[in-house]
Amino acid sequence: MSEQPLVTVTIDGTQVQVPKGTWLVEAAKQIQREIPVYCYHRKMGPAGLCRICLVEIEGMPKLQIACNTAVTDGMVVHTQSDKASDGRRAVLELYLVNHPLDCPICDKGGECDLQDYAMAYGQGYSRSVDPKVSKPKAVDLGPTIVLDEERCVVCQRCVRFDDMIVGERELVLKDRGVRNIIATANGEPYRHNYTGNVTELCPVGALTSKTYRFKSRPWDLRRTETTCTQCPVGCQMHVDVRVGVVQRTMSVENDDAISDGWLCDRGRYNVGFYDAPERITQPMYKRDGGWVQIGWDDALDLWATAIREACAVNPASVGVVGGGRLTNEETFVLQHLFRAKGVANLDWRAGRQRQASPGRNAGSLVDLESCSAILLVGESPAERAPVMDLRIRKAALQKGAKVVRIASAERAYPAPIPSTDVATVAEAIKTVPKEAKRIAIVWDGCDGELATSLLERLPADAEILTYISGEQPNARGAEAMGMLPFGKPGYVKVESGLGAAEMFAAASDGKLAVLSIFGANPALYRADFAPASFTVVSDLFMSETAQLADLVLPAKGPFEKTGTTTNMTGDVLPVNAAHSLETPADALSDLEMIVALAEKLGVELPGAEEVDAAVIRHLAKPPEDFTLGDARFGFEAREKKKRGKETSFEVVVQTRIFAGGGTSAHDARIAELCPLPAAAISPEDAAEIGVSTGDYVDLVPLDRGADGALLGVLRQAQDDNPNHNVGRDLLVEVREGMPRGVVALIGGLPDSPANLFDGANVSVTNIRQTAEDPAETVGAPA
Amino acid sequence: MPVVKVLTEGIGEADLRDIKVYRDRGGYKQLKRAFTEMKPADVQALCDKSGLRGRGGAGFPTGKKWSFLPPEIRPRYLVCNCDEAEPGTFKDRMLLEETPHQVIEGILLGAYAIESHHAFIYIRGEFKRGYEIFMEALAQARKAGFVGKNLFGSGFDLELTVHRGAGAYICGEETALLNSLEGKRGEPRLKPPFPAVQGLYSKPTVVNNVESLAYLIPILERGPEWFSSVGTERSKGYKVVSISGHVQKPGNYEIPLGTPVRELLEIAGGLRPGRKLMAIQPGGGSSACIFEEQLDLAYDYESLQKAGTMLGSGAMVVMDDTTDFVRAAFNLVRFFAHESCGQCTPCREGGHWLERVLHRFLENRGLKSDIDMLARVSHEITGINLCPLGDSIEPFLASVLKRFPEQFEARVARETVRA
Repeated sequence: MSEQPLVTVTIDGTQVQVPKGTWLVEAAKQIQREIPVYCYHRKMGPAGLCRICLVEIEGMPKLQIACNTAVTDGMVVHTQSDKASDGRRAVLELYLVNHPLDCPICDKGGECDLQDYAMAYGQGYSRSVDPKVSKPKAVDLGPTIVLDEERCVVCQRCVRFDDMIVGERELVLKDRGVRNIIATANGEPYRHNYTGNVTELCPVGALTSKTYRFKSRPWDLRRTETTCTQCPVGCQMHVDVRVGVVQRTMSVENDDAISDGWLCDRGRYNVGFYDAPERITQPMYKRDGGWVQIGWDDALDLWATAIREACAVNPASVGVVGGGRLTNEETFVLQHLFRAKGVANLDWRAGRQRQASPGRNAGSLVDLESCSAILLVGESPAERAPVMDLRIRKAALQKGAKVVRIASAERAYPAPIPSTDVATVAEAIKTVPKEAKRIAIVWDGCDGELATSLLERLPADAEILTYISGEQPNARGAEAMGMLPFGKPGYVKVESGLGAAEMFAAASDGKLAVLSIFGANPALYRADFAPASFTVVSDLFMSETAQLADLVLPAKGPFEKTGTTTNMTGDVLPVNAAHSLETPADALSDLEMIVALAEKLGVELPGAEEVDAAVIRHLAKPPEDFTLGDARFGFEAREKKKRGKETSFEVVVQTRIFAGGGTSAHDARIAELCPLPAAAISPEDAAEIGVSTGDYVDLVPLDRGADGALLGVLRQAQDDNPNHNVGRDLLVEVREGMPRGVVALIGGLPDSPANLFDGANVSVTNIRQTAEDPAETVGAPA
Repeated sequence: MPVVKVLTEGIGEADLRDIKVYRDRGGYKQLKRAFTEMKPADVQALCDKSGLRGRGGAGFPTGKKWSFLPPEIRPRYLVCNCDEAEPGTFKDRMLLEETPHQVIEGILLGAYAIESHHAFIYIRGEFKRGYEIFMEALAQARKAGFVGKNLFGSGFDLELTVHRGAGAYICGEETALLNSLEGKRGEPRLKPPFPAVQGLYSKPTVVNNVESLAYLIPILERGPEWFSSVGTERSKGYKVVSISGHVQKPGNYEIPLGTPVRELLEIAGGLRPGRKLMAIQPGGGSSACIFEEQLDLAYDYESLQKAGTMLGSGAMVVMDDTTDFVRAAFNLVRFFAHESCGQCTPCREGGHWLERVLHRFLENRGLKSDIDMLARVSHEITGINLCPLGDSIEPFLASVLKRFPEQFEARVARETVRA
């Protein structure tokens, strides 16, 4: 962007220099002059609808709107003159003619722009004596949002957000004149990954979150600024607590570098699990097949003894998995302790992702906006790193970037975001405009071969920026802190221990004595998971993995501890314990557990200052010698499967923001948001096997390899647990643009071990038409 | 004098809807001449020279409007605004229904002048009959080779697309019209950018009124001097005026601009016997009234503006002493409140507020303080709206409040009852 020359404008007697073309309303902000606005938004520009930002400009006979007036050199503006004040007063009176004035019961009361402006600029009475127009006060727009039509000031910020920022265009303005209302297109539920933002954009109390409605008054909330750790983007957020419970989270307005001012719905709404009744509140020990509650001292003794004994025989029989959900400090101390005991089997990679640090060419989130082509490899960033996906959408919607998805089985982007789907890297290269100066690759960290071949074949003269949108929030920090079998802190090469997959294999062979798992749930995702002779799990809930463990430790969640986290682009961000949040008395942070364990093991840990210094030192050093799909991360070439029989499909597991197990499975406030177990196939395949959207099917896994290992595991899972309805009763979605021979399943749903089918070949059987009521067997997990 | 027959020539005498009749009377000759003998710039120059001003309401010089098109960006679009819905106006409807070929020829000439290869006409939804007539005429014109590829062998392709409105007054505002034409909600756009730079489908676009475009034909035929020789210094040429209300012969009359209002009244047959003139709305529902003592005003853009009202679309509504001005004011305010798209606040809230208050007056439940409030609020909502609709509420209301306060006072409730 070319630099605009500076111009000088005088606002209320104060001169300010701003780049030519700056909106007057922004110029005023620079000298702390408030010009009230409703429809204008910094990220969306002027709309010219609310007419509250009236100012007097010398030389112009009529009052002008400051939002759509670009400053010119020598412009003299009065925001407080009689004429401007009177105009504003008149407009405010109009706003209140039909407003219900139900401030005492309105969630927005106390932080409402209508209330505040009416106090600051209004006249304090109304000349209107007629009855107000009455409208519905609790319109259910979808699973997250309720609309009070009477309070709505029709600023259309929400409608414009859906159009300009998200591109989904689900919210629309209906009817006209004084009967204008916000509604959803065709009355469909308002449902995408960013809906909660409209409650913040709404200047009044019209759009409210179901999770926060009537829960608190703003002045009763204790606010803490922290980093969201639901995904690796690391959006800055406010956590608002009242009566010891997280009531809501809010975006941080000036967080331009990371979140761009937005939050996704997972980050915003999945905060109700801290006081879930099923939270683990005491250490649990499995004795004679049943769980008993024990004290921390006993728990630490059991754990330390197991480690001490195993290390005395062979440190290679001890392993640690996790770290991607811990803070940098916790991870550093964790690996320090175990490496001090001679343990080299350390890996954060409990899921499918192999690599989190992009190494050289790493781009920042802001850089995405200036890329002329954005290539998406692997899983959809809309589900893995939603707020980064908003940047991709911004680049496409506002700056004309070309979005290309390679071998994607995902739903298409909404129509306003032009995106191209291609099957191979070769085709992707062809779609990249020749003149592209900056190209971004956004990869899910899974298929290394695909990423490497793409990186190699892009034009040499273009600047390539790489991004890894991963599964765990602090995976990059865990890598940098040395939770890798082949690398100590700072990626310093060491003789490699076992990776997670190898540890599970060793456990399965009875060769792993002690396995400690921190904030990870491999049993949910991996068919190859097996517990060791003694398995310890630190978690907030009795996860699928915890149920298979011997000792389960009650951990603290991200809003309950303090430290730092590293996001996908390498920014080190603060994690702050929320003020006045009530935590189960016996829950410890992973750091506290590790420190206590170290004491029992007689290992001296570095002091806090030393840890901080180490964290900074190792994170400051970018891993320049990696590229995407680096061989060190141990990528296994995925075997290319050919479709055998007509009814044989390869399973692709896809992330949905609310299906990720863990905290979203234990949050009653958002139960409605959890998707149903579903199977998506291409229209061609659907026609061939005779299914349509809304039908139900079963999937039967065909043997994965010669030994039929997968099939064995699944059958066993089914026999052990009758509720483990392996591949049964999946809701069919016929999805346009999907490749043939693929069936896409939603990963991470508890009690739907479709997770375990990743990469398997299955056949679709037992097709039931919608008419046959499958309600008894299918339903959203409670 | 002063009724003339230019655009109205032949109406009522011959079936001008038949292309053969229209051509026999010289129709499409100017179109052929333009395409075969003139460059687009020549047509533009003639229009500019004639001093033709937009006949839709704003009165902006047509040639000047065309000159705002950025020279380098293509394609450009010409859109003919046939969403005539201003209360009191019915001239475009007559042109559409009685002489559709003249409308087509005008559009094609305008499109050629601005080098647009795709023109559109947006026809008011309620003009069902006019639409059918126009479609029939368009089929005839297409068959005759006046619309489509390589017109008159000039190599110039020109398509004409017809779009019907769905009944919203606001779609007569040019940017709302463009939104509606694009299939969007019909609400005015924030300007800048202006349509000439970013109009239909974000391309440079000119929106011209039916009557403005139709006048291109006689201007080409008889020369710009013929047109500019009549009228006043800045209001040139002729205008079709729709005269309605309390006159004996309401209808469309074509007159030279600058004709005194008194004469227009006479043309329309004058008042009914024994009636006294109370007020005239000279430029449609959005204009302020003029009164008996102003009958010598010249009917042109400047004179009316100077008198605090406007010529608008050329709709003269005459009101005699049988008029209930409270009801008339309510009627118009209700119309504007009903037609407000509602996107911007003063118009949405203010219009509705005033409507409710006036409704109370109709029921003799006005408050004394309301009279002052009506004047103040209608004034406060004026000049701060995104489009001119909100500004259309005040003029009539304010002029009758001032002139006939006794009619409002008579409807104040005897005992003040809180509504």
